[in-house]
Order: sequence, then structure tokens, then C-alpha cells
Amino acid sequence: MEEAEGGGEGEGEGEGEGEVVELRVLVVDDSPVDRRMVEGLIKRSGKGMFQVIAVDSGKKAMEVLGLNNAKTDSTAADEQKIDVILTDYCMPEMSGFDLLKAVREQSSPKPIPVVIMSSENEPQRIDRCRAVGAADFFLKPLQSTDVQRLRDSVTSTPLALKTPLAPKNAPSKRKMPMDRMAEKSGTERRPRLAGVAVAWLPLRSCDTPAV
Amino acid sequence: MEVSRLQRRYIDFISALFHEFTELQHLQDESNPDFVSEVASLFFEDSERLLNELSRTLDQQTVDFKKIDAHVHQLKGSSASIGAQRVKNVCLTFRSCCDENNLEGCLGCLQQVKQECYLVKNKLDALFRLEQQILATGGVVPIMSKD
Repeated sequence: MEEAEGGGEGEGEGEGEGEVVELRVLVVDDSPVDRRMVEGLIKRSGKGMFQVIAVDSGKKAMEVLGLNNAKTDSTAADEQKIDVILTDYCMPEMSGFDLLKAVREQSSPKPIPVVIMSSENEPQRIDRCRAVGAADFFLKPLQSTDVQRLRDSVTSTPLALKTPLAPKNAPSKRKMPMDRMAEKSGTERRPRLAGVAVAWLPLRSCDTPAV
Repeated sequence: MEVSRLQRRYIDFISALFHEFTELQHLQDESNPDFVSEVASLFFEDSERLLNELSRTLDQQTVDFKKIDAHVHQLKGSSASIGAQRVKNVCLTFRSCCDENNLEGCLGCLQQVKQECYLVKNKLDALFRLEQQILATGGVVPIMSKD
């Protein structure tokens, strides 16, 4: 398992006249590719707004947040101040949803906002996250506009209190080059009702029964 | 002259590559000069690990389709992240076969996804070689527009 990867110079004050306060974002994703991609996107689009700490599991995230029950020899330095958590939904052992619940269960007056990201645009999944208080829900692969939303999630109200998000309409995102193989051979077409994608896929192992 | 010829070749090559690859390129800058090759390397290592796991799992007497689905889900995700759309498309079919507990279908998809990963690797290796050639001749690697 990988160690937490620190990504910046540290929170602090900027040089010059204005004070630049970096937000510390904890990125949680079991995919090394996605972790690196998200880190790269946040740093590039964030323009110095964020310091990224990346871990590869919900369990590691709990350690960073100081929420793990097990007594370890971790010191106070291991429990880093985090401003926002950006976690993948589907991860082995401890899913992003489990992590969201664990964070929201803390009786802190100002719980850390948790943003969920997922490659699957499933209304059930979004609703489930909303019900538990997710700050936002991003569809993978992330885009630069999501980085601004990430910053907004630090100050805005939880997703439960927002109006429903319009799901990303994948076909309209970008044009694809001609070397793409016959999409019809593998791409699933999902019917859309009033702009909402209806998931045909059965619940995956990372989807827990409705709470 | 040599530099501009290599640059033209690079532009033609990358234009034929997956569109999302140019998104990757745009995340590369002075503070992250090796971002693209880094992400590509991570993808190849991770996909090789997943493909090995898939082969092993499909070879078992009792096939655990949920486990296979989990691995394919990961591969689908990372291939989508770097823009390897053909790999992702095969993964979609692969997952359908898992849902149906279709062993033969899964085995076919495994072969197909291995082939597609191999093609991606070859394309990117060729691209990186071109980049090295451009830099070696004193040129600048062209950055493609996002549009």
C-alpha cells in the first residue's frame, strides 16, 4: 500500500500583499492512475488554491483524519488538518460511501465536506450520498470546472440541501477522434427521463443496500 | 528542417490519438514536466496487474464473477481517465458478461482488452519516442489545442 503523498508546500500565507490560504484536499482513490490524474488536474486548474494529499484507501484516509479506532503509534502529526475530502465511491474494503458516513458521524460543529466522485452516473448512488450529506458528486473523469466546484464545496451547504444536480450528459462532453472503435459494440445506451440517466446496471458490490 | 518534419509527424500522430490524450497534455507544465509519461506508466503498470489478476481469476475452477467485475471496473476507470476509449468500451462489454456469468464471453473480452491495451501502449511508446527525437534535435514538442 502506498503512503500518503503530500503535494504542496504547505498551508500558509502567501507572499506579497494578499494572503493566499491553500485548501488542503484529501484525495482518496484506490486507482493510482486516477489519483495522479485528479492530483494533476487540481494543481493545474486550482492555480495554487489547493494542497493535495492523496491516499489509496478509505482506511488510510481515516488515519490521516485521525478517525481510526485502532490504537496505533501514530502521532498528532499524522492527523493532518483537511479542508475537504474528495473520494472515489467504489473502493475495496471501505468504500467512499462508508468514508462519507464515518466523517458525517463525527460530532464536530463543522464537519469536513466530503465530495464523492464516481465513473458511474447512477441516480440511486447520488441520492444515497445526498441523503448522508455529501457536499457534491462529481462524475469521472473530472474536468477543470469540477475544481472550482471543489472549492465551493468548502463553503457551501451539503448536497442534501441543494437542488438536484443535473447529471453530466456524457455524449455532449467532447467529440471523440475517429480511431474509436464501434461504440455500439460496447457502450451501453441508457434511456433518459427528463435529463436524468436511468441506470440499467445492477447494484455493484460497492453499492450497499438502501439506507 | 528535421525538427519541423518531426513536429509535423507528431501533430499528425497525436491528432489520430484519443482526444482525451490532449487533455492529459494540457495538465503537463513546467511544474509537472513528466506528467503525461508518468500517468501513462501508471496506467501500463496498473493494467498489467489487473490483466494478470483477471487471467488468474478466470482460470479458477469456480469463477468468481464479482471479483472479475471489480477488476474490470478498475480497468474501465483508469482507461477512461487517460482517454483509452477502446479499452473502456471492451470493459463495458466485459462487465455485461460478468453480470450474465458468461465465462466464454469473459474469456473473449479478456483477449480483446489485452489486445487493446497492447495497442495503446504501442501508440504511446511511439509518441514518446517522437517527443524524444524532437527534443534531441532542439525542437519544442507541439501542444495540441483542446478544441
